[in-house]
Amino acid sequence: MKKLNIAIFSLFLIIFSSCEEVVELDLEKSEPRLVIEASIKWIKGTEGNNQSIRLSTTTPYYENENIPVDNAFVSVTTEDGSEIIFSNKGNGIFTTTNFSPNLGQEYTLKVIYEDDVYIATENLIPVPVIDYVDQERTGGFNGDEYEIKAYYTDPANEQNFYFFIFENDKTSIEIYEDEFTDGNQIFGYYSNEDIEAGDEIDIELAGISKAYYNYLFILRSQVGDNGGGPFQTQPATVKGNVLNTTNNNKFPFGYFRLSEVDKTTYTVQE
Amino acid sequence: MKITQFTLIIISIFCFTSIRAQGTFTINGSVTAANSNETLIGVNVIVPELNKGVVTNEYGYYSLQVPEGNYRLEISYLGFQTITTTINLTEDLIQNFELEESTENLDEVFISQNVEQLDIRSAEMSVNKLSINTIQKMPVVFGEVDVVKSLLLLPGVSNAGEGSSGFNVRGGAVDQNLILLDEATIFNSSHLFGLFSVFNPDAIKDLRLYKGGIPAKFGGRVSSVLDIYQRDGNSKTFKAQGGIGVISSRLLAEGPIVKDKGSFLVGGRSSYAHLFLKFTDNSNSAYFYDLNTKLNYKLDDKNKLLLSAYFGRDVFSINQNFKNTYGNAVLNLRWNHVFSQNIFSNLSVIYSDYFYGLTLDFVGFVWNSGIKNLNLKYDFNHYVNNSIQLKYGVHNTYYEFNPGEIEPNNDESGINYFKLTNKYAFENAFYISANHSISNKLSAEYGLRYSSFFRLGQDGLNIYDNDQAILYNEDLDIYEEAEPTGKEFQDRTEVVEYFGNFEPRLALAYIINDNQSIKASYNRMTQYLHLLSNTSSPTPLDVWTPSGKYAKPQLLDQVALGYFHNVMDGKYSIEAETFYKKVQNRIDYVNGANLIANNAIEQIILNGKSRAYGFELLVRKNEGRFTGWLSYTLSKSEQQTPGRTAIETGINNGKWYNTSYDKTHDFSLTASYELNRDWLFSANFVYQTGLPATYPTGQYEYETISIPVFGDRNANRLPEFHRLDISATYVPKKSRDKKFKSSWNFGIYNVYNRKNAYSINFRENTDTGSNESVRLSLFGIIPSITYNFKF
Repeated sequence: MKKLNIAIFSLFLIIFSSCEEVVELDLEKSEPRLVIEASIKWIKGTEGNNQSIRLSTTTPYYENENIPVDNAFVSVTTEDGSEIIFSNKGNGIFTTTNFSPNLGQEYTLKVIYEDDVYIATENLIPVPVIDYVDQERTGGFNGDEYEIKAYYTDPANEQNFYFFIFENDKTSIEIYEDEFTDGNQIFGYYSNEDIEAGDEIDIELAGISKAYYNYLFILRSQVGDNGGGPFQTQPATVKGNVLNTTNNNKFPFGYFRLSEVDKTTYTVQE
Repeated sequence: MKITQFTLIIISIFCFTSIRAQGTFTINGSVTAANSNETLIGVNVIVPELNKGVVTNEYGYYSLQVPEGNYRLEISYLGFQTITTTINLTEDLIQNFELEESTENLDEVFISQNVEQLDIRSAEMSVNKLSINTIQKMPVVFGEVDVVKSLLLLPGVSNAGEGSSGFNVRGGAVDQNLILLDEATIFNSSHLFGLFSVFNPDAIKDLRLYKGGIPAKFGGRVSSVLDIYQRDGNSKTFKAQGGIGVISSRLLAEGPIVKDKGSFLVGGRSSYAHLFLKFTDNSNSAYFYDLNTKLNYKLDDKNKLLLSAYFGRDVFSINQNFKNTYGNAVLNLRWNHVFSQNIFSNLSVIYSDYFYGLTLDFVGFVWNSGIKNLNLKYDFNHYVNNSIQLKYGVHNTYYEFNPGEIEPNNDESGINYFKLTNKYAFENAFYISANHSISNKLSAEYGLRYSSFFRLGQDGLNIYDNDQAILYNEDLDIYEEAEPTGKEFQDRTEVVEYFGNFEPRLALAYIINDNQSIKASYNRMTQYLHLLSNTSSPTPLDVWTPSGKYAKPQLLDQVALGYFHNVMDGKYSIEAETFYKKVQNRIDYVNGANLIANNAIEQIILNGKSRAYGFELLVRKNEGRFTGWLSYTLSKSEQQTPGRTAIETGINNGKWYNTSYDKTHDFSLTASYELNRDWLFSANFVYQTGLPATYPTGQYEYETISIPVFGDRNANRLPEFHRLDISATYVPKKSRDKKFKSSWNFGIYNVYNRKNAYSINFRENTDTGSNESVRLSLFGIIPSITYNFKF
């Protein structure tokens, strides 16, 4: 439904012959907070033993360089109690080579940073395969933009949530639920004015939980063209599923999620 | 039980009528314009010897009770020649008056025309009346005269920025305005995202905006009442008028069906499709149209029928991929009946429909939603004696809400048919109110409305553990949707939820002397419908939903105090008012709530409250070649949504936050100058505090995207807003005395091309990778030209 908001918003802009101008504001600067990007991805056809987690801190809004966090402890514990330690590789990256993915199983993330203990639990969510990728050329305002549709088949009679990442020059994330498409073959949709014939688009489809879907839903409403427009939802701090057990008020940003993933690359045809 | 009591009261009022002083007679009738038979609203009918008088009601009717004898009767109305006549009352008398328009040869026209006279004696306060003549003089964007845009220049009325739908009154929300067009409720007052309002100015006769001290006759919305009456049509001769502008054109025709008895009026407007879309070789379009029709027939002096219809649509389409249509349709039949010499009644049967449709071809579905209602109103004006005038009546509305229906639009579509559960409700109200001249110094308007709301059964209502549809996750400090434990299937005739509220209204005026008065008012109002919108500016996609188990009715209490002064024989007038109001049960949405196609809205809403207070000043210059007004509002409008328990944080940590339309200072200056009979110049200047906004206080990277960290809700402000508009109207000499009259309007909107911020967006520049804030401004300098004609 984000598409809908964007469609309405672009109409709005066109109608009002509006003008955009970059302005510099004197923004408040909040205290740095820990950011945990813990996305465990089990790509179909692999063992899923190699995983990495990224830690950083928030920065003032205009200074968007990455400030990595290396002096931290990171581990993931499986349902049966075995703890997998992630070791620091510099630049905020923590990796392991002996992760053991099990669909549906619950995992617990533990991060210790500056004496605060951060905990999150989440299940590994399965995903169907990408059946095929198709293209059309009727998108956009002039009706000549490429539209890429990656089809998959939703399992019937259960609630499912999907997370697509389309990547060529830009990264686009799309999320779907199956409320209106239960049991059908349906597609993830990607279209923008920069796609050209010959482009190679990396497509990643991940299964996600309802809670993570809700998180991404809010996240996406806060960024890019959707942020700040007249049809925006109220801006708000996006809270993830990682809990600071030492100091609840100093909550971290980011999310701990585990997904089964199907990947493909599509070359755009004439 | 309460209802029966009320009925008893009403019956006993009828019995009153027989009690009348000996030797007193009633004179009653209607006042119309001589050249068109159009009924005139608010005409003064005065007996100077007795210092008594009335004004005509919404249907041009008046009734006066006078002791037997000879009297002078004075009938006066703005822009019309005053009639003075002598009557000899020996029995009850029906007397209709026809007023001649002030002839335009006289220079005094400039002096007395278009003056919204300040009535310091009436208890009515916080009411703004604008004549169509005044509205037509104001400069507006794209040269199109617009009702709502004009109201924005009055104190206490604002909106959430250029290009936003609707209007806000005294810190109230857009959905809290009751908008009546010929007694029918209009659900969406805007075309093209607020660029135009849905009211065709050529068809309008009279409008008033009640901001406070709202009479008991009105209910169902808590913030304000915009009461608009359309013209009935000329029953003497055929007339037409229209205009050709840069954005849209309009045409209106009227004339007799049966001379002096019945008339018709048909008016239409349309914007030019493709106009905004600069590309020539595509199939994109964005346009609106609306159609007003009216028929009226006077059966006799006591009975009159009026049939009116309105149909309006906005249409947007991009490439057949996206098509969006929405609008109002209203059909309205009214019967005016005079029961006896002093009881006037109007019965209205109104059907109204708001439709919203959307086709998204690239996803493969059609989406339809809307609200239908059938409304029955029976209103009485009862002129008990010369000190007391009663108004009473009953209003019933049956609602059918269609929150949405999704259908696949082709065989290959991966969308399943889905229907969001329809909702049904019945709203009912009785009211009685009195206009009472207690003494020469004191007059009052007091009344009581009893409103009730019956939420009727629907096909499936979610049930939750402990009735908690929304759960608080204490660890993560977020709200989560509760899983329904079951569904309740109800019969459509079953009342599943009932609300009843007494709504007292009181307004008092204390007359200090002929030129000064002090007024005070209190009103309580209830609103049973909620507009679900979690965006800064309402969109047509927003859905109305009735009160029920999970959303309680909004309850308002407002007090206002004012000082009114006519200076130099009414040459200038000063109105100063302060107000305080609070609303209970104002819904807000938890962070990230998705309202679109949501079948369980209760899972994402929290009950809160709102309050607003402020000071308003209106200084007018009413006479001379140079007229105009200065309007200033100092106000605050806030909302609070605390947690339901001590542990919960609510929205914005339970702290008060500014509503998205709060403006601390709102100043405007409107002036017009009649240079001569050919040229009229107008200008207005506005200055407003920037609208509240939420700015980021930091950022981080997630999935390679820069995510902003936001501070408190609406804690920041956009840059201040100011703008100057000017216009000139030229009436060619040769056109003036002919049957075919024409005029040209030249306007410049935003003369000094101020780039006012509509919003500030925060985004990552995809080329440089660094974050930036981008100011979006909608209108730069916009010249316009409009040609108007009349014959």
